[in-house]
Amino acid sequence: MDAVNIAELSGNIAVVGYGLAAIGPGIGVGLVVSKTIESIARQPELAGRLQVTMWLGIAFTEALALIGLATPFIFA
Amino acid sequence: MSANSSDQLFVKALRLSAILALAIALIGTVAGYFAAAEAGIFAALTGAAVSVVFGSMTTLSIWLGGKLPLNGFYGLVLGGWLLKIVLFAVLLFVLQGATNFSGPVFFFAVVSSVLGNLAIDSWLVLTGKIPTINN
Repeated sequence: MDAVNIAELSGNIAVVGYGLAAIGPGIGVGLVVSKTIESIARQPELAGRLQVTMWLGIAFTEALALIGLATPFIFA
Repeated sequence: MSANSSDQLFVKALRLSAILALAIALIGTVAGYFAAAEAGIFAALTGAAVSVVFGSMTTLSIWLGGKLPLNGFYGLVLGGWLLKIVLFAVLLFVLQGATNFSGPVFFFAVVSSVLGNLAIDSWLVLTGKIPTINN
């Protein structure tokens, strides 16, 4: 590949979309789970309540990933 | 072993998710038929199947993970999430080559499922009696 054609790429741009759709929610779910574990380690007696709250946090975060992964079906 | 309030909450969430998937299958089939004939029906039913699997996977992983030690809980919840995204990517790969398949109908079925499950989860957490200490 010479210097003039360095930006000449082939492939499907939707693949970049899959990556972008997964990276944000991936970080988000990691943060939600790590903070829950931290909280359970501090106050084990609240584990049940914290896990249910975490469930809601994960549901909202992963919704972004699933919608992002499905968008090629309308934009393709 | 008697079921505690957390168990009841998760069972209720699974039951409501199943009803939502059934509703998406019924409404999606009719709407998909008018939008894209047979391709729309197939897409709506696939979207409803995705709704069942993905709607229940998070709930099941947190419910069952809650009965394990902390590291097991962490592994099950995050492993379940990873498995779900991998399954979804494989499904998209398979479906993109399908000829008799309506992409927009599938997209709207999946988005309805995701938003519906969010509404169910939020409603249950806001209105449910969550125990501070499990039985």
